[in-house]
Amino acid sequence: MFDAENFIEETVEKIKEEVPGRTLIAFSGGVDSTVCTALVNKAIGDQLIAVNVDTGYMRKNEPETIKKLMDEMKLNYRFIDASDKYYKALKGVKDPEKKRKIIGELFIRLFEKVADDEKIEYLVQGTIAPDWIESGGGLRDTIKSHHNVGGLPENMNLKLVEPLRDLYKDEVRKVARILKLSVSEKQPFPGPGLAIRILGEATPKRTEIVREACDIVEKEIEIAAEKENMELPWQYFAVLIPTKSVGVHGDKRAYGSVVAVRAVQSIDAMTCSFSKIPVNVIDRISNRITNTLGDEINRVVYDVTNKPPGTVEWE
Amino acid sequence: MVKIYVVDNGGQWTHREWRTLKYLDVDTKIVPNTTSFKELAEEKINGLVLSGGAPRIGLKSELGNCAEYLEKAGFPIMGICAGHQFMARHYGGEAKPSKVPEFGKVELRLLKEGDSLFEGVPKKSIVWESHNDEVTLIPKDFEQLAKSEDCEIQAMRHKKKPVYGLQFHPEVEHTEYGAQIFKNFVKICEK
Repeated sequence: MFDAENFIEETVEKIKEEVPGRTLIAFSGGVDSTVCTALVNKAIGDQLIAVNVDTGYMRKNEPETIKKLMDEMKLNYRFIDASDKYYKALKGVKDPEKKRKIIGELFIRLFEKVADDEKIEYLVQGTIAPDWIESGGGLRDTIKSHHNVGGLPENMNLKLVEPLRDLYKDEVRKVARILKLSVSEKQPFPGPGLAIRILGEATPKRTEIVREACDIVEKEIEIAAEKENMELPWQYFAVLIPTKSVGVHGDKRAYGSVVAVRAVQSIDAMTCSFSKIPVNVIDRISNRITNTLGDEINRVVYDVTNKPPGTVEWE
Repeated sequence: MVKIYVVDNGGQWTHREWRTLKYLDVDTKIVPNTTSFKELAEEKINGLVLSGGAPRIGLKSELGNCAEYLEKAGFPIMGICAGHQFMARHYGGEAKPSKVPEFGKVELRLLKEGDSLFEGVPKKSIVWESHNDEVTLIPKDFEQLAKSEDCEIQAMRHKKKPVYGLQFHPEVEHTEYGAQIFKNFVKICEK
């Protein structure tokens, strides 16, 4: 079995060797980067600067929640609002791989700027096994370029340190529980954020739509799971499909986009089965999305694909 | 401690094979399929897993040095997916594109009871699949151990030595008895 305590001990020692001085850490507030931060903190203490980037593709209230978390953890941190930069960089970009690569590169350029200012050479990332596996390379096909691996630019000056490379999410959570981190059970959220939950161009307007839809899906499912109507899925969210379909709103023709509801059960993200959300919960989600986003969305579909053949996110 | 290495043929789940073996307290390592047999022999391994991978065995793709391992090994070998298809081809069988490729959940049916690799696995169980090609002709030195609705040769073994091929993926969480199959393979390697 996986021995989390042993892993913590060994990894702290390894970080001490690998990171001789001050380092940056790419901090998203998710379980991987938070565990990484706690481990680096144990190893080298206050030599660490956490950098959090608001890409503009965050979930509702997420930047505030993350700032609070960084305060709670008493981190020395830099918060960068780069929304405008991201929206500009992704203008007109529709291809999912291009989106991922642009986002990945921009992250690094922002980190490099902080590193230059602070005269720091190292960057710690919470990369875990599925990130590098799916990013491909050599014999392995590229399924999707994870922003922190396949999305890295070829020319970068920072030296990467990735203490969680051989771990999967279930193992990272075990480490998080031992470290008593409040985020230990938080659902995964991809680095490229909502940009890859919008098929096609990730415009600010579409981002608002998918942000609202994701919020509805999250809240309704969390309420249902709390009332024991269902098991909390491993990951659950909404996807915006900007293909239009015909509807009827108040005796008038409507012609709006589609939202897909996605929820999966998994242990490690390498295989997943779609969650069997109770029909009454799906019903509420559908109603709330179409009523809240009536001008834009008049159809909700439920994704019933396992992985394989699908992946969790649509892009 | 038994030593079983995983040959990386570029699979999405190669690292899961490594993890499964690690959880069974096996001394394990992922090695590229360009590793020579001599290097493997020098490590004194007790068994080998040939991972799956993107190469299309049904379209005549090669699989690094896997042929050399199959020719020279005196230890047990378990080929998974592309590793299994390559094994069939190597021993004189055939692999071709599947009429109905299988992805995700499939019901596996065991055809023969009592084989040590499937000890403790019921006659019908859920396995996870991901293949475009499959074994279409079993080599004459092999016997078939399992099938599914859309794929006849889901599992096979050499009649005289502990060399196994599996089309499905015992290394992933969603395969019901996957860890059991690995446990059995470790036992076979310990002999």
